[in-house]
Amino acid sequence: MTTPEPATISKVPVPGPVPELRVGSVHRTELDNGADVMVVPRPTVPRIEFRLSVPAGSALGPTAATAELLRMGLPLGTAELDQEQLAERLQDLGGSLQVYQDLDRLTLQAAALSEAEDELYRLMAALVAGPHFPGNDLQTEKAKLAEALRSARATPHFPPHEAVGQLVYRDHPYGRLEPTEGQVARVSRGSLLDLHRLTFIPRSAQITVVGDVDPRRTLRHLRSAFGAWEGPRRVPLAPRVRARVEPELLFLERPGSVQTVILSASSGPTHGEEGHIALTLATAVLGGGFTSRLMSNLREDKGYTYSPHARLENHLRDGMASASMEVRSDVTAAALAEIQHELARLATVAVPEAELRTTKSYLIGARLVMLQTQSGLASALAQVRGHGLDHRYLERYQQLVERTSAAEVMAAARRHLAPTAMTTVMVGDPSAAEGLEALVPVRRRRSPAG
Amino acid sequence: MTSGPSPRISTFRLDNGLEVVLSPESTSPTVGVGVFYRVGFRLEPEGRTGFAHLFEHLMFQGTTKVPKPQFGNLINSAGGLLNGFTRHDYTAYFEILPASALEMACFLEADRMRELDLNQETLQNQLSVVEEEVRVNVLNQPYGGFSWLWLPQYAFSRFPNAHNYYGEFQDLEAATVQDAADFYRTWYGPGNATLVLVGAFDDKEARRVVQRHFASVPPRPAPPDPDLEEVLPSTRREHERQDPLAPTPQVAVGYPTAPFGTKDHLPLALAARILTDGRASRLQRTLVRERALLLHIAGGPMYPIGDSFEFRGPALFTLEATPRDGVPTGEAVAAIDQEMARLAADGPTEDELRRSRRRELAAYHSHPDSRLGRLTALGVMAAVHRSPEMVDQVAERFSQVTPEQVAGAVTRWLRPERSTVLHWRPRAKGGRG
Repeated sequence: MTTPEPATISKVPVPGPVPELRVGSVHRTELDNGADVMVVPRPTVPRIEFRLSVPAGSALGPTAATAELLRMGLPLGTAELDQEQLAERLQDLGGSLQVYQDLDRLTLQAAALSEAEDELYRLMAALVAGPHFPGNDLQTEKAKLAEALRSARATPHFPPHEAVGQLVYRDHPYGRLEPTEGQVARVSRGSLLDLHRLTFIPRSAQITVVGDVDPRRTLRHLRSAFGAWEGPRRVPLAPRVRARVEPELLFLERPGSVQTVILSASSGPTHGEEGHIALTLATAVLGGGFTSRLMSNLREDKGYTYSPHARLENHLRDGMASASMEVRSDVTAAALAEIQHELARLATVAVPEAELRTTKSYLIGARLVMLQTQSGLASALAQVRGHGLDHRYLERYQQLVERTSAAEVMAAARRHLAPTAMTTVMVGDPSAAEGLEALVPVRRRRSPAG
Repeated sequence: MTSGPSPRISTFRLDNGLEVVLSPESTSPTVGVGVFYRVGFRLEPEGRTGFAHLFEHLMFQGTTKVPKPQFGNLINSAGGLLNGFTRHDYTAYFEILPASALEMACFLEADRMRELDLNQETLQNQLSVVEEEVRVNVLNQPYGGFSWLWLPQYAFSRFPNAHNYYGEFQDLEAATVQDAADFYRTWYGPGNATLVLVGAFDDKEARRVVQRHFASVPPRPAPPDPDLEEVLPSTRREHERQDPLAPTPQVAVGYPTAPFGTKDHLPLALAARILTDGRASRLQRTLVRERALLLHIAGGPMYPIGDSFEFRGPALFTLEATPRDGVPTGEAVAAIDQEMARLAADGPTEDELRRSRRRELAAYHSHPDSRLGRLTALGVMAAVHRSPEMVDQVAERFSQVTPEQVAGAVTRWLRPERSTVLHWRPRAKGGRG
């Protein structure tokens, strides 16, 4: 079937435009107890993805240790179903369960073969209505958490993330420090049960199901599984953020580090807020994808770093824009100079049309790829629903990105990504700090595990 | 057991030797394009540890027709994502992009299969980048490279299996443009590659596109499969490494595992699930919960990088454990030995086996939902084992495994005297743990 001596094609074929993003048919309803349900049929494979989110995390937890142990304690099961029985039942459904928590929400993320969806909903309903936190198992989770925190503090990445959150958000709950081992040890079973009662309130809950489902049948199963779950009021949300970011550098000394971790961050708009899409684009031009400015300059030209990137983390009350990378110790100051140069350029020179075009296509394409899977769509829906938005926001995203101008991108960058808008934390060998004072005011402190 | 709907697979071969696997599926207007070369860590030359991965970086450094920064620009401009990864027995390059960019991706992959612009400047640049990658993932992290990078160096004795896959810095720094040209000529010809297309395309049209772009790549004869065999050990080897960054001791146990296609291969994949998969697994139940000796245990064939299907040379079935404060790593290993002996003697319960199969069935059903998942499953099975059709048969084969087969496989392979133990020690004396 092949022909001999085929000719070589010498011109790059031109692809068409990025196709439109479609979520498909969406079925939304409110259960009698107030839980907000969204079901999206996506019969690509015979599975379902389930998300149940409630406001939680830093806005609610009395301490970070209690909040984290609530997350870890849910898979310990109920009074009727211990952790092994729960895990066995999930395996029989071809299922899985992870519990996630960010600054605003706690999410049960589960999956199962679609033939077993009703059983999955019953298991999840049992967990949200009556987790048990049995004493011995709770002790084990505490020991795991203490060890995880010890190991995390020994990495060069955890301390700067903790420090930068505090520098940007200060007294706001978003700036809360991660737990100490002492705080973990002091958490009682009673405080977990209290926090659970405060957190798992149906009126504040959002349930998302994506997969190979008949929506009417799925709604019936959800009603029957979650019908008995009760609770009167709504959960409070985190207060508004009033960030005041100082353009300075905190250098955390970690003697013997063979590399310096650099993390610069600032406060900006989040999903649905004025300027959010412009800042998303500015962040992507700076450090998204293979062809971003940080990548081209600090990696592909200078060879200072492996994986430089910038991102916008969308909390409910704030978008934290950040740029981060790890560089070899002896070019730490040189790398910061280049980062500042890129930040300043983005804030003062309009992004050329071709580069903006590429970045827009990259963002839209990445979104398209993410939303094509059951799990990607379920997670994206759960996330935007937490911001009071829905599938229409996901579908409008392409248009919102397309119509943002270079001038708007520059304005967003000037406000939120300029060197004067960012605070920086570094973790490295003390010798790597040499020369940094020439660029920014420097404070030094010993890294927690250093 | 249901087998469920699955995209169909077709395969063909071009005259230059390129193997092509097509798996059309059009629920989303996207495609995945992947090229899998049959070369990985094991085949890098002695004195050039880390070279297979360094070379992967050079594949993104441009050609005469598509100079350095353009490859990524073109893919991103089309709304696509791209990356590459190096493993023990293959190296993969992929793009996930809107369906209309299929032809462009084929053009770009064919272009870098035909020739590369290898030069001192990009080599030097990517050498620096790779050294930072090694620092990020290994040298500046507690437990960096523990089971996947260090354990095989103790467990195996021949260079292809027992060297530092990420690369000793003196070896990386000794690499020359000529080394890169030789490696490319030897291992990156169409006869040593598999092209995989998944997603929204028409089978006939895709064949024409593949033909148009890849048929003109000149053939380079594929080298014969090298001999990688190891002699199986007959006594347990114990080693330790000091890690100044680690706060707590850990321990890894590695057992040579059954090769693909042998009778014990699939039973050992299920044994991994039965032993370590989640809170209902044997080792979590007995050692974490009941006996309270460990905080964590995880493992399986090629853990933590790879799975039961990723290898064709010698490979390890690895268990990695974190003992509780005050429990010596030796006690953790003794407890693991007891549980292994129990599984070998009594086999799994019907219940354990059924649940492990349900997990495999769920994994089988979830992989085609993502273009990258489907692409990787097909590429690995085609490039490493020459049997892409296995991807859609594996759930059915797992359903036929019996408790006796699992017990037999554990008895034959997961034996203490075959294993290598690596104790990972915090350096600080009198420190915690």
